[in-house]
Amino acid sequence: MKGYLKLILITLLFNSSFTWGQQKFTLSGSISENSSNETLIGVTVAFPELKTGITTNEYGFYSITLPEGDYSILIRYLGFKDVLKNISLHQNTSLDFKLEEEAEELDEVIVTENVERLEIRKPQMSVNTISAQTIKQIPVILGEADVIKSLLLLPGVSNAGEASSGFNVRGGAVDQNLILLDEATIFNSSHLFGFFSVFNPDAIKDIKLYKGGIPAKYGGRVSSVLEIFQKDGNSKEIKVNGGIGAVASRLLIEGPIVEDKTSFLIAGRGSYAHLFLPLFDVDNKAYFYDLNTKISHKIDKNNSLFLSGYFGRDLFSITDRFVNTYGNAVGNLRWNHLFSDKLFSNLSLIYSDYYYGLILDFVGFEWDSGIKNFNLKYDFKNYLNDKLQLNYGLNNIYYVFNPGEIRPNKASSGIVADKLTKKYANETAVYIDVEHEVSQKLSLNYGLRVSHFNRLGQDEFYTYENDNPVFFDPFTLVYREAKPIDTINPGRKGSLKRYTNLEPRLSMAYSFDDNTSIKASVTRLSQYLHLLSNTSSPTPLDVWTPSGPYVKPQLLTQYAFGYFKNIINGDFGLETEVFYKDIDNRIDYIDGANLIANDAIEQVILNGEARAYGLELMLRKNEGDLTGWLSYTLSKSEQRTTGRTSTVDNGRSNLESGINFGNWYNTPYDKTHDLSLYGSYQLNEKWRFNSNFIFQTGQPTNYPVGQFEFEGIVVPFYGLRNQERLPAYHRMDISASLTPKKNKNRKLQAEWVFSIYNLYNRMNAASINFRQNEDTGRNEAVKTSIFGIVPSVTYNFKF
Amino acid sequence: MRKIVLFSIILPFMLGCEEVIDVDVPEGETRLIVNGVLRVDETQEFVPVEIKVTESSIFFEDNPIARIQSAVIFYGTPNPDAPEILEDMGVSNLTELDPGSGIWVPDPTFDNEQRIGVRFIEEGDVFFLFLEYNNKRYAASTTYVKSVPIDTIEQGNGTLFGDDETEIVVTFTDPPDTQDYYILDFGFNEFLAIEDEFVDGQAFEFSYFYNQEFEKGTELTIKILGADQNFFNYMDLIIEQTQNTGGVFQTPVATVRGNVFDVTGLDNNEIFDSVERPNNFALGYFAVVGEFQKKLVIE
Repeated sequence: MKGYLKLILITLLFNSSFTWGQQKFTLSGSISENSSNETLIGVTVAFPELKTGITTNEYGFYSITLPEGDYSILIRYLGFKDVLKNISLHQNTSLDFKLEEEAEELDEVIVTENVERLEIRKPQMSVNTISAQTIKQIPVILGEADVIKSLLLLPGVSNAGEASSGFNVRGGAVDQNLILLDEATIFNSSHLFGFFSVFNPDAIKDIKLYKGGIPAKYGGRVSSVLEIFQKDGNSKEIKVNGGIGAVASRLLIEGPIVEDKTSFLIAGRGSYAHLFLPLFDVDNKAYFYDLNTKISHKIDKNNSLFLSGYFGRDLFSITDRFVNTYGNAVGNLRWNHLFSDKLFSNLSLIYSDYYYGLILDFVGFEWDSGIKNFNLKYDFKNYLNDKLQLNYGLNNIYYVFNPGEIRPNKASSGIVADKLTKKYANETAVYIDVEHEVSQKLSLNYGLRVSHFNRLGQDEFYTYENDNPVFFDPFTLVYREAKPIDTINPGRKGSLKRYTNLEPRLSMAYSFDDNTSIKASVTRLSQYLHLLSNTSSPTPLDVWTPSGPYVKPQLLTQYAFGYFKNIINGDFGLETEVFYKDIDNRIDYIDGANLIANDAIEQVILNGEARAYGLELMLRKNEGDLTGWLSYTLSKSEQRTTGRTSTVDNGRSNLESGINFGNWYNTPYDKTHDLSLYGSYQLNEKWRFNSNFIFQTGQPTNYPVGQFEFEGIVVPFYGLRNQERLPAYHRMDISASLTPKKNKNRKLQAEWVFSIYNLYNRMNAASINFRQNEDTGRNEAVKTSIFGIVPSVTYNFKF
Repeated sequence: MRKIVLFSIILPFMLGCEEVIDVDVPEGETRLIVNGVLRVDETQEFVPVEIKVTESSIFFEDNPIARIQSAVIFYGTPNPDAPEILEDMGVSNLTELDPGSGIWVPDPTFDNEQRIGVRFIEEGDVFFLFLEYNNKRYAASTTYVKSVPIDTIEQGNGTLFGDDETEIVVTFTDPPDTQDYYILDFGFNEFLAIEDEFVDGQAFEFSYFYNQEFEKGTELTIKILGADQNFFNYMDLIIEQTQNTGGVFQTPVATVRGNVFDVTGLDNNEIFDSVERPNNFALGYFAVVGEFQKKLVIE
């Protein structure tokens, strides 16, 4: 760590001496959309004479320090008109820009000159941005535009198919993605078991997915960071937009409370109750809803406040005998403050929780579980000069885990009320990150994050012989729960275990010319929270658990290397990357592990390892009537858990067989080939067509190597894990959006979206199960598929 | 309990559509299967000893009968001070009931009684089963665990997932302060494994749903078996892997390892583990458990 600080210091000195004697001034300000005052993220502010530039940050702010002089300044942002302006920089200057939407001239024909376009010179690699506009265009099931389904079209991102929660990045597990909505952690990203994601696309401004080269600002998950920013709300006039779809409808209202100063945004979305009613002949309900709210207040030039909230719930019930509710709630207060024109800061106070509740009347109990966290974040961005920016900050998160609470739901129930011991933890991190343009050709990003995790005391805590909560029976070769030797009561004050990890980050870009560059990065990350999930796709019931004395944090090292090229003046973009990652302490479960309502989860967990490597390719077409991309990923993702070597008996060591006999095996999200093709074609002012095609190698699964009958039950039995695969997954979706001509001269703007999901009705296998037919008594293999062809219509409007 | 909670995640998959398909399944090596759950009814004179032996087959074929050369059960009470020493040892030599049936019962041709008298055994007694198969020696050991009677069974009128279901409401009382495990046998090869973690010492009432409707007058017999933790885990895993209704929320499959192992060459001195011979196991389980049953006539 010392070495790092030294390096940073030297860099700083070098830079200041280099600029000695020159008179320099700072130009800073914010950039927003003219019609709504919505700040814009990632706008390029370029100085063609100096061949330098900068982009606006997450809050629309920019700052750059240049030698005294007269310059032209060019502001570019996709879908907006360029601004070219001459400025005389003879003192520190503050300059805000308002950009006009380019689309307005073209009568609602939005030119998707993409946000997704790649940045050749920036060292940031392995990152994908999708505009809210693109998300809305991608055809999806039942016509509901969907953030996560859109991500799946990117290289290196996959999921377990229809109706599976979350997503997998570069062969990582679902719980290894850090999902931030306005900087608050979202623990479950799916509604209705994965049919929809929890983000209302209308309320979203910008989405960024980091798959590697993750800046030091982020930590806590080892696979990816998905950053989602909600809109601030229009501070000029009241705007309404919404949509009516086949399964859900949504409405968004935004507008000024005090013009140009304070704005609000409120967006709601709900599916229709009894969504799946035709499929059951009983009284049931299945629906979801979510609510996004935000108030933005500009106090003065140097201070802004944002208060945002999210609340989402899913509910299933069958008669009243089975009721299941779950969802996220997030509250967030942020304060943007400019200490000077070079020092931007953001302070966030965040509360977030995930709740899961169940009422099972036929067994007579109610069940609650969840996780809460309180997060304090203070981030600084220091624009030292046009070559050097510093990001630094600190972050503290306090967690409360409720692994479960059970209560009888009626007097006759024999259930004894019980609370599994709550767990507490605190995660602290400090980071510093340098964005350094060493020369015209070489840019670097280097930084260090130091994270400290403190598993706090709790009311009851088991101790085990030799601190070993998992017992291995060397005769039967079965791992079993060890019996605790004692229950201690450490109380809430003490600490059960502490971990400190240094997480260095380095990425670099070397550009050969304006259109070609190579990039490389090394990332180290640690993850202290684990989602206990023993199913091939996570379920809402899965419980998060902290690291502690028995469960170690996951530690990742990822290397990535890439080649990037803009072709034909940026009309096309090519991105290729190779990556290798290695994760220590990936948790694995003993056979038959019971993860639900388990008060001693350490008894069924072993620490293993995981690795993944692959090649990603992406070719985009950015300009013209036809835009889109082709992405392809070739990869491998494996894990293994070898026997612990601690036991030495009769001179023989390593008596444990490990899980899967200590062999590497495919993770459930190992997809050898993953290809997606997305195209969007603007036929004329009225019609736009979109289509996508996806092909993925089938998910690893198991086929029985034999069967046996025991007590009348026909039991398939299996060999090593994940040796077989489901059939390949592929499908094609199309959609057409119609913008009626009559929109032209009226306030109400309407749009119809007709879509067909799974056009050629491919019955993709979600699973293959082996069972005995109840009627014939014969054994059979049964394929379950979720969706065949699904047509739908959505009506969108705004005024 | 876990099974019940898992209903919640099975639910959405009733949406999916199912199709029987042809699959080429891999063929593993043939293994001996031992089906030896001895259900002790304490009102009877003898333990109903009946061990069925078969051989595993590929998934789509039936299990053929296994030809074993001999079978014998030893049992005794562990000495409280040295549990590895058994006292009051008894032995039961088995013979095949009918040649080729694969069903082994106490041999009536012996001069002395080979059947196991219920009055000679008590909870905690250890039973060993030894078999000879293909010139290899297989062994299993288990501990006798009693059960508790079913208090009541009533027919309910509720349904969970559809109309063609039959609800029965079962109540039994768990003894307090001990960790107990139960296997409920509902007939029709339907089982449920229950532990008393959340119902310790309580009269526990729960509903079970048959996935069929019965004619009026049908007599159902519900049985409750005792189990130790190992037998519970075994049955739990078997039930999980067979009653898994599918979908993407499958738990990883595992070879369900019972308690019958090939012990040829184990000298219990130098080598008493199986670490270097991970494949020397038979399928199935040998258990001696108490059983109570209750009948219900469908109205």
